[in-house]
Amino acid sequence: MDTILIEFLLLFTTPEALNSGLSDPRLVATLVGILVAISGALLGTFLLLRRMSLMTDAISHTILLGIVVTFMALLAIPGLEPDLSSPWLILGAAGAGVITVILTETLTRSGLVKADAALGIAFPLLFALSVILISRYIENVHLDTDAVIVGEIGLVWADTHSYCLAQCDPITITPEDPRAEVRRVCVNCTRGGIGPRDPEAIFEEECNNCGTYSAAEAWGARLIDTAPSLVYFPKALGVMSLITLLNLFFVIGFYKELKLSTFDPALARSLGLRPGLIHYALMFLVSVTAVGAFDAVGSILVIAFFIVPAAAAYLLTDRLALILVIAPIIGGFGAYFGYDLARGNLFGLQVNDLLVILDPILGLDGYTTWNVSISASMVIMLFLAFMGVWILSPRYGLIANSLRRSDQQRRFREQMILGHLANHPDQPEERALSTLHQHFGWSRWGMAWVIFRLRSQGAITIQDDLTELSESGRAALAAFRQVNLPHVTPQHADSVQ
Amino acid sequence: MLRSRAAIIAAVTLACLIALLAIGAWGFGIEYSYTLQTVAIGGGLLGLISGVIGSFGVLRQQSLMGDAISHAALPGVAIAFLIAGRELGALMIGAGIASLLGVYWITAVTQTSRIKQDTAMGIVLVSWFAFGIALLSYIQGRPDASQAGLDRFIFGQAAAITAEDVRLITVIGTGLLLITALFWKEFKLIAFNYEFAAANGYPVRFLDALLSLMIVITIVLGLQLAGVILMVGLLIAPAVAARQWVTGLGAMVGLAGVFGLFAGMIGSGVSALDVGLPTGPMIILIASLIVAIALLFAPERGVIAQWRRTHQTVSKE
Repeated sequence: MDTILIEFLLLFTTPEALNSGLSDPRLVATLVGILVAISGALLGTFLLLRRMSLMTDAISHTILLGIVVTFMALLAIPGLEPDLSSPWLILGAAGAGVITVILTETLTRSGLVKADAALGIAFPLLFALSVILISRYIENVHLDTDAVIVGEIGLVWADTHSYCLAQCDPITITPEDPRAEVRRVCVNCTRGGIGPRDPEAIFEEECNNCGTYSAAEAWGARLIDTAPSLVYFPKALGVMSLITLLNLFFVIGFYKELKLSTFDPALARSLGLRPGLIHYALMFLVSVTAVGAFDAVGSILVIAFFIVPAAAAYLLTDRLALILVIAPIIGGFGAYFGYDLARGNLFGLQVNDLLVILDPILGLDGYTTWNVSISASMVIMLFLAFMGVWILSPRYGLIANSLRRSDQQRRFREQMILGHLANHPDQPEERALSTLHQHFGWSRWGMAWVIFRLRSQGAITIQDDLTELSESGRAALAAFRQVNLPHVTPQHADSVQ
Repeated sequence: MLRSRAAIIAAVTLACLIALLAIGAWGFGIEYSYTLQTVAIGGGLLGLISGVIGSFGVLRQQSLMGDAISHAALPGVAIAFLIAGRELGALMIGAGIASLLGVYWITAVTQTSRIKQDTAMGIVLVSWFAFGIALLSYIQGRPDASQAGLDRFIFGQAAAITAEDVRLITVIGTGLLLITALFWKEFKLIAFNYEFAAANGYPVRFLDALLSLMIVITIVLGLQLAGVILMVGLLIAPAVAARQWVTGLGAMVGLAGVFGLFAGMIGSGVSALDVGLPTGPMIILIASLIVAIALLFAPERGVIAQWRRTHQTVSKE
């Protein structure tokens, strides 16, 4: 998988440039962050629509149980030295995620426990089991709590596989080889008995570095003079690329099934689309993504990459296909600018300057360097993106909503005045400009503004403190009645006072 | 009749508790040392309070609110630490303010947009938490680095509870129970018919905030002992178990308190005996066991009762 990726990348660049790019912490962290964001946002959209956002919270905690149990199972197999990047651990963790889902749904389906409480029972239980197993049986495995929660996205560039492109022949060192480090060892020497200089001493040649080396190992041990053409590829980048592609294929390949089983599971079932299977496939991929992102962003912050971009995109459009495009873009935005924020740069705004201002107020003891967790900063950027969308979205945003509401209020007020004037053609005291606001209980200025607008529209005329409905005002009123009060005849409306 | 059933189950649970303690003493020769007593009493009280407070969250179908607001407390803790240093009172006030802001944010988003409550809770949980983590890593970067012990706030530390902590739990817990009793009618109303309460002029926003604050305080109290995630479980499990046995609110809340007491005492007691077993997870295991028993054996609602009912109906036909 990585090899294909590298060959693809090498179509565009040289191995040297690729290596220097892949050892740039910023580039790798941003790339991994963007991949996590894309794969999370794709799946998170469906979780949001299925109202299962918090399932990610549960899954991201219970995958720990899967990791622990698989690790213990691997430990039990003799001759196998399990390490924490084994693919079995990913599968085991994903299995634990699916078990969480099944346990929660079994509890809910029994009808005895509501869905939220079922989740709240299932995942603390599984989490408790994993904590007990860890503290009881694998004490010597150091699980760094910080790494579990926050991840080490700033360091993923350093954990690499190497790939060889040219001069890749493995090197075999035999004792005859000039590069072999051969020393003669006395096999039958004993302390106080036969000494090395004794004629009876038997010597054997022992080779320290014999064996077969891959080109990378040979270069690392300086056994060859010319460097093989190597590419050092960060493990997390490879894993997340694979997971992103997997999610992409799943969402595109099963788009119809996913859409239908999300919006109308009953119809999906009757059409033979197996919504149950799709559901568990989705949950399996959520678990796999959570495990894959574990190293980079940790177990809690990964939730953000599922929930927040999808929620922001949901406030921008109604079309599922568009949400699936916008959500990864928002996620990528958060990952990209999050790195800057961690280093104290928020779109060119320096956080350090803010700290200098806050120093005398909060008592920061003059420590004004903002250099913080990268993954947390990415999540903060995602949150800021959500806030921006929530406020500014043209369709569902706060500003758009309040504009729409004030527009409706203005139009309603204008109709009220026009109707009032039409209802009192013979009572000048009802139409007096100076007292009109009292009839409605509005403020004088509010009334003045409505009158001003009506007058500039030409709907009313004003003569000596007396307001009068103009012809165009009458027409506007009639049009309003036709549209909004079709069953009320004007005569009837007039008689109601 | 139902009230008396609650009394019977509560009595049985308490009798089991005493019996277990006695078996421990005579059967296994466990000495009830001062430390063990302290830990068990602390755990029991915490379970009792969690059971009572958690009942309202479960009934309002906001069980996971505890999860969200307890994570949301982190930035408040970090800022309070920056301002006041490691002062438990200040940390709790910081936690309370941050969580309340989170609750208000959830309400604001769900009321003004089409984001549903579960999603809003998820956003607050992780965004506030991320902000807290960023602040924590800023604090850790400080040269004086006097931040040690702050991540205990997240995970809890097993069996390190002192008599001082137990006194604190007792005082604050009594306060929480008193508030519950004082606002009993109001809490009951918003648990079962929120709209009706709002329409009748009850200060529902205030009651919401009060209930959230009480959950935050309970969780902060329990952090030392159990850590965030497991406190979430302890707020939910006793209430769910109690709900299977009885139907009245009073009976349910009381029973949840007794179940919580049982799980807290036995769980923390067992873990204090053996260093290898962490406190919070043990409490959760016991609480889950109580839930399993309730789901299986509860009359009327339980799985076995349901099965027998359908079985009888089928055989009659």
